[in-house]
Amino acid sequence: MAKPIVGIFGLTGCAGDQLVILNCEDELLDLAGALDIRSFHMAMSDNDEDCDLDIALVEGSVVQPEEVEMLERIRSRARLLIAIGTCAVWGGVQAMKNEEQREKLKRQVYGPKGKDFGIIPSQPLSSFVRVDYAISGCPIEKDQFLQAALSLIHGDLPVLPDYAVCTECKMRENSCLLLERGELCLGPITVAGCNARCPAYGQPCIGCRGPVEEANVASEVNLLREKGFTLVDIQNRLRTFGGQSEVMQVAPTERGR
Amino acid sequence: MKMVKLQKKNLNAFLAGLEKFGDLHGPVRRDTNDFAFQKVDAPEQIAHDCLRTILPPKKYFTKPVDTMFTFSEAEGYRAPDKDLHTKIILFGVHPCDIHGIKILDLVFGGQYRDEYYFARRRNAIVVGLDCMPDEYCFCRSTGTDFTEDGFDLFLSDIGSSYLVRVGTSLGDDIVLETSTLFQEIGDTDRRAYKRRSAQRINSFEVEIHLEDLPEIMDLEYESRIWQELGDKCLSCGTCSMVCPTCYCYDVVDQLNLDAKSGSRLRRWDSCLFKDYALVAGGHNFRADRGSRIKNRYFHKQRGFVAQFGRPSCVGCGRCIVSCPAAISLVDVLTKLRSRGNE
Ligand code: SF4
Ligand code: SF4
Ligand code: SF4
Ligand code: SF4
Repeated sequence: MAKPIVGIFGLTGCAGDQLVILNCEDELLDLAGALDIRSFHMAMSDNDEDCDLDIALVEGSVVQPEEVEMLERIRSRARLLIAIGTCAVWGGVQAMKNEEQREKLKRQVYGPKGKDFGIIPSQPLSSFVRVDYAISGCPIEKDQFLQAALSLIHGDLPVLPDYAVCTECKMRENSCLLLERGELCLGPITVAGCNARCPAYGQPCIGCRGPVEEANVASEVNLLREKGFTLVDIQNRLRTFGGQSEVMQVAPTERGR
Repeated sequence: MKMVKLQKKNLNAFLAGLEKFGDLHGPVRRDTNDFAFQKVDAPEQIAHDCLRTILPPKKYFTKPVDTMFTFSEAEGYRAPDKDLHTKIILFGVHPCDIHGIKILDLVFGGQYRDEYYFARRRNAIVVGLDCMPDEYCFCRSTGTDFTEDGFDLFLSDIGSSYLVRVGTSLGDDIVLETSTLFQEIGDTDRRAYKRRSAQRINSFEVEIHLEDLPEIMDLEYESRIWQELGDKCLSCGTCSMVCPTCYCYDVVDQLNLDAKSGSRLRRWDSCLFKDYALVAGGHNFRADRGSRIKNRYFHKQRGFVAQFGRPSCVGCGRCIVSCPAAISLVDVLTKLRSRGNE
């Protein structure tokens, strides 16, 4: 079997997901041996900008018109396009304030220099192109990434969790922060895969992996309100990482109450 | 059944003396109100006031994530050996959890006997401990508040001592090994035991009726209750993880870096998960959350009764105390029964 030809790309994000790939220290050589990596700007020179790709791994969200073009170009080269990281999958923290005027923000941040470039609200890859698989996480989990990569090398579809952080939290037998301490934990609506890292350290889940399939946000909001959190608190937490995902939008009429 | 007496002040000496039978495990405090069964280095670490651990003892026999075998071209299929054969003493198992284990014995011992389960089961000594119910316990209603078997030893509090029932010959060996710590029981002890039992029976705050529940469930199959529950349920899976009798698992293969060798794992599953009833071709038999929560109730209180003659719920209350959405099995069953009478 020929090695899959791979390109690893970054749009707007912190490059944390590409770093996770580079941080697979013990596995990196094997991984590099099993893949034919042709493009990985963060890690190598002499990148091939034109070849067809079996797999394109794309990190980051789309915040500029130029990035839409870059992404479309990557898509046209790739058989499989895989979004890696919460920015690429859901828009990321930069989508938190998407309803604010871009021009105003640009003026505030860049002053007159802002005239030289355009910006658009931060959006996930799927707003522009077909995404074949989504590996979320802020950043992605190394083991999950490796397993997904290995499945693809083997010719299988990666298996990603369809269940919430709570499931792994209970498997680890953590004390429940939501029920025992009344903390604003998003575990019930956030997709698993991190082995409930934060609750295991006594910190509530802030939803960095994005919403689980069929997240019941309405019920989560109700139960948090019953615990005394305001809609503003809840909404701020929901939108920190899941800003662009429709499910995370609390009904607009309720906003700000 | 043989009965002896162990003074409370001798309990730790007794437990410390069990070393040769295996590693000692018991409930340890995790947080103010939370406990977990785990290995202890000294009996003093065990929390004797634990009523309910977060996970039931099932985690010892069917682990949350379990390796079934490894595979490679060179070595073929290899079963894991080490952790299937560690001898343990599980101390402080309450009657509901002993019944939970007995139910899993039935399920895993069925037509396709699960050797992973029974290898670990054979290596576990169960030392039961009685308890006083809280406002969530309803094991009296499920007939699981007392147990005649399923333990090697069972300790009941009779004041300054425990009355110890010996359930197996292995239990008897243990008593003989540490015989200097035990005494014969006398009339006062018998009376104290009966008083304690009566007191315990009278302490239940929750009562539900299960006798005709299967019929009631059939009558309420189309009830709107299921949809209401579906709206509330988060599909978070907590209730299945913490239930002593939920045994579903999913099987996945994990590859090593050569993409040729790897291991086959099984991982606790839940009928509340969206993809639980998803089949090839993309059809989902229970795409709707309400139908999934209905399945959980029907399996425990209806289907299991048809198959095994009793519900698979042992009334431990775990799913009630740990549901983030505050869905209570007792409330649901009470509502189903009273529908139409309100
Ligand atoms: S601490 Fe959070 S993630 Fe863990 S069980 Fe509670 S709600 Fe779920
Ligand atoms: S527990 Fe929540 S916030 Fe923490 S790593 Fe996991 S998904 Fe992210
Ligand atoms: S259904 Fe709930 S109360 Fe019944 S055994 Fe399971 S966790 Fe305990
Ligand atoms: S614990 Fe509650 S919210 Fe979570 S899956 Fe079970 S019933 Fe639904």
